[in-house]
Parts: sequence; C-alpha cells; structure tokens
Amino acid sequence: MTKTRNNFNMWFPPFKSLSIFLFILILISVTHGIAQAPTVRFVDGEGETLAEVEFKLHQEIVYLPVETLKTAFDPEMTHEYHRPRKQLILKTKGKELRLRMGNTTVNIDSGKQTFTLPAPPLAIEGQPMLPIHFFRKILAHLDDVEVLYNPNLQRIRIMPKTAWALDVSDDTREWTIIIDPGHGGEGDLGCKSQNGLHEKDIVLAAAKEIKKLSEQHQLSIHLTRDQDTEKTLIQRVQTANREQGRLFLSLHCNASFSPNHKGMRLYINNPNGQPRFRTSEMPRFGKKRLNILNQANYLKQSKNFANVLQKELNFLAENPIVITEFPIITLSDVSMPAVLLELGYLSNIDDAKQLSNPDHISELAVAIIRAIQIYSASVNQPSKSNGFSERKPSDTN
Amino acid sequence: MNLLRKILHSRLFMVWGITLVVIIIGLAITLVLIAHSKRTRILDAPPKLPDTPNTTDILPPPEQVNIFLLNPTSLEITPVQVELRLYSEPTERLKQIVSALVQETLPNYRNPIPRGTLLNEAYIDSQKTAYLDFSHHLADGHIGGTTAELLTVSAILKTIFDAFPNEIIHVQILIDGKEKKTLAGHLNLSQPLRF
Repeated sequence: MTKTRNNFNMWFPPFKSLSIFLFILILISVTHGIAQAPTVRFVDGEGETLAEVEFKLHQEIVYLPVETLKTAFDPEMTHEYHRPRKQLILKTKGKELRLRMGNTTVNIDSGKQTFTLPAPPLAIEGQPMLPIHFFRKILAHLDDVEVLYNPNLQRIRIMPKTAWALDVSDDTREWTIIIDPGHGGEGDLGCKSQNGLHEKDIVLAAAKEIKKLSEQHQLSIHLTRDQDTEKTLIQRVQTANREQGRLFLSLHCNASFSPNHKGMRLYINNPNGQPRFRTSEMPRFGKKRLNILNQANYLKQSKNFANVLQKELNFLAENPIVITEFPIITLSDVSMPAVLLELGYLSNIDDAKQLSNPDHISELAVAIIRAIQIYSASVNQPSKSNGFSERKPSDTN
Repeated sequence: MNLLRKILHSRLFMVWGITLVVIIIGLAITLVLIAHSKRTRILDAPPKLPDTPNTTDILPPPEQVNIFLLNPTSLEITPVQVELRLYSEPTERLKQIVSALVQETLPNYRNPIPRGTLLNEAYIDSQKTAYLDFSHHLADGHIGGTTAELLTVSAILKTIFDAFPNEIIHVQILIDGKEKKTLAGHLNLSQPLRF
C-alpha cells in the first residue's frame, strides 16, 4: 500500500502540473476566441476607423445592431422598436425610416421612397438587427455618401460623395474615358470558370455598370463593345483613338494553372517590362527617330492611373493588388494612358463566386469611377500635392 | 550485205526492236516515278524530334537540366531537375530540352504548357535568338487569362535561358511556323522576348 502511494506521489506531481498547464492553455484559447469575435469595421474615405461592430450571422447573412448607425453613420440617429408590432422606426439625417422585422421593405418619409432589401431586418436575441444590405444600399439614399463593402475583410467604407465631385472640373467633364470589355462573341469567350461563367460576360456586365454609374458623376464613358460581339484588337484601338479617349481601361478576368491564384491584378504595357522585347527603340526614317504616338509615350501616365486604381481597388481586395509591367498586345497601340485590370481569377472558386455577384460588380464599378475621378482631377489640377501634371505624352521609359 | 539487209527487213527484227524500245520507255517511266515518290515523301515527312545526328550509335551521357514548372504552393515558376541525355550541338540540345519541358508531368507541379502541345522545330540564329515553332495547341488549348499566359511564356523562357546562358539571348515563339501576335490575347509575342 505504502509502495503504491509512493508510486502515486512520484507520478502525480507531473500529472498535476500538466493538468494546470492544459487548463491555462484552454482558458487562453477560449478568451482569445471571445476577444476575436467577428466584427465589421467601418472606415472613412481615408481608411480611418469610424466604428468596429460585432455582427451575427443568420443564414450566412451578416446582421448588425441598429445602434451601429449611430456610431458609424449619424451620431444624432434615434430609433424606436415596437416589439409587439415588430416595427422599427429610425430617425436619421432628417428622414424617417420604417421597417418591420421579417419584411424586406424599407419605407422612407411615409412612402416618398421605398426600397426592397435582399434580406429582411430580424429580431435576434430580442434585439432588432439590420442586414448588411441595409448599410450597402440605403445609406447612400439618406445622405450624400458612397458605400463600399468588402465581404472578405468585413469592412465598410463610407465616404462623402462631395469628396468625389469636389475636384471635377469642366475639363474632366469633357474627357472621354474608354472602357474596353475584353473578348466577346462566340469566337472569343475568354477564360471560363468551373461552373460555366465566361470572362466575356462578366467584363461586359462590369463595363455596363461603370457606364451606368458614370452618368451620375457627369463622366463621359465610351465602351469598345456594349454587346456580346467579337471585336478585333485593331477595332478596339481604332474606337479608342477615334473617340479621342483620355484614359483607356481594359477589363478582363484572370485564369491560372493553379486554383490557388486569386485576387485582382493591374497590368501596364511596357516593352521593357518582364518579359521584355528585344528592342524598344522607336522606328527610324533615315537618321531621324520616328516619334509614333503609341502606348510607350504614355507609360508614366499609365503608371499613375494604375497607382490610383490600385489604391481604390485595394479596399475591395483581400491582399494588396500588384501592378505588373510587360508588353501587352491589347494596350500597345492605344494613344492615351492605358491600364489592363484583371477583376479576379475564374480558376479560383472564391473569386468566381464573387464575380458572379452583381453587388460585387457594382462595388468594383464604384471604385473604378472614383479612381477615374481622382486621376482626372489630379491631372487637371497639377498644383495639388498628389497631382499628376502630365497632360501630354512624355517619357518613354 | 544481202544477209544484213535481209535481217533488217525481217519480221523477227521488227518484233525484237519494238519490244526493246517499249522496255526502255517503261524503265524510264518507272525510274522517274520512283524519284518523284521519294521527293514527295521527304517533303511530307513530319519533323523528327529530336533530330538524330549522325553519331547516334553512342548514347550521350545523362546530364542534369532544370525544367521550369509552376509550384502550386508558392505560385511561382520554379526549377525542377530532370536527367536528360543531351547531344552537344546547341540546336539539338534546345529541341531536346524544350520537348522535355512540353511533356514533363510531375505530381507536385503544374506544367503551364497546354496539353497536346508539340515542338515542331527549333532554330538558333546568328544574333542568339532562338525560334521555337510549337504546334497550334499552345494557343488553341490555352486556358486564357493574363497570369496563365505569363506563366506559359515564363516557363519556356526560364528553361531556355537557364540551359543556354550564353548561347541564347532572345526567344521568338511561333505557332505552326507562323508569327502569332499573342497566345490568349494579352502578352505581345510579335517580337523576340527576354527577361
């Protein structure tokens, strides 16, 4: 018996220490889990945090408490919730909104405006909660704001519309922006996803969305194709040059041999990129170098435009967007600053799912329009600190 | 004299004479046809890869060569060592190495060359530019997308520049013997490329 107890005493202390260690480990992981509860972060136009709010998931839809409006949008906001009638009345920005739990209709100022949400507000654990769609769709109708949502990072950017329009001069309004939806027709489908999405259809939808949005922002957008038709590279370039475009944005969807490649990519035509051409010299006529106006003349401007696009689109991206330079056939003969934007990988399941979502396409369009506005405003106002003062074709390297 | 005249006018001489002429014409036609058929066969013959040099009786010793494939984890084009018996003549070596790249399938890597692609011919000019003539599968069988197109061309260029650091500076990709502006609508292939 004594021998057994001795044995136990000999073995117990290590077990005791181990148990305490495991208990502490479990406690840390549980508390860490609580601390890492899922949140939606609201940021302003500069990326500064306005509020960070815990959300609840219901049928894979993000729901936020009503008080979020107060912290992230309008500190003056008040609300009343009539539990028996399941009715929610919100007073914000001088407007009254009426919603009913389980009902997708949003009534503003006694029927002056009515919207239908994709998901209804719900009472979760006795508290009225608003679906994420409310923030994405309704806020812009309550105040002069644009709302961008990144579902990957659960981030919402709320920025005043006035911040956009402020710099838009008459010069910019006279600009024609060329949007080139890549591929098209039955002979050129582009790449495709596993579930049968075609690149030509996604980029056309995105181009049309940009055009629709541009009308609200007094921008003149011209599409190289507005239907599912096949266009040669020469036809696209001719259209862009004939319309005297000031910017050229070619829209594409990416593909890779690995399903792990994902995210957006930006490309600039550079004969000295990676890979590079044998020679990037201009053709000569006798001893004179022929200064043909093509994309090589607009390299610096194209880089500037790509940088602005990168900054604006990064908000919607999971990882920072990379800009790559190489000889691009689509852009080589365009006589204006030009960028090729790959909206995502159709060979990646997550990207393909996102690109089939009209909400995501419309958010991409908002970011692209904003980038065009920022770039054109900077070009027209070279005195600004971030201004790009080049309006004429310049350096070639 | 009379005997000679008799022989010349005899029916037997006529028959043998005509038979001889017919045999000669027949032989001539047969020779012409044989020569023509040989030439046609040479023209129609598919290119042999690798083109066996005269010294084929002795197999060259195996060498370690880097083939560049896509690593699906790092998402980079990375070198993979393979053992090949390479001839010493640069053009033959080029054909062997590019053919090995086109056909290579390794379990942990992705080959960014579309399936079914063949190297038709390869040639290195005096300016150290390698001309690679691939079958139409390289363009027609391509999955599209800028990344995929860059991966395909990068794998070819990196494999060549690694194996021929001094002999080749640029690479021009051809499809079925012709220049093609692009494989899938993005990368400009109208000029020889380098890194």
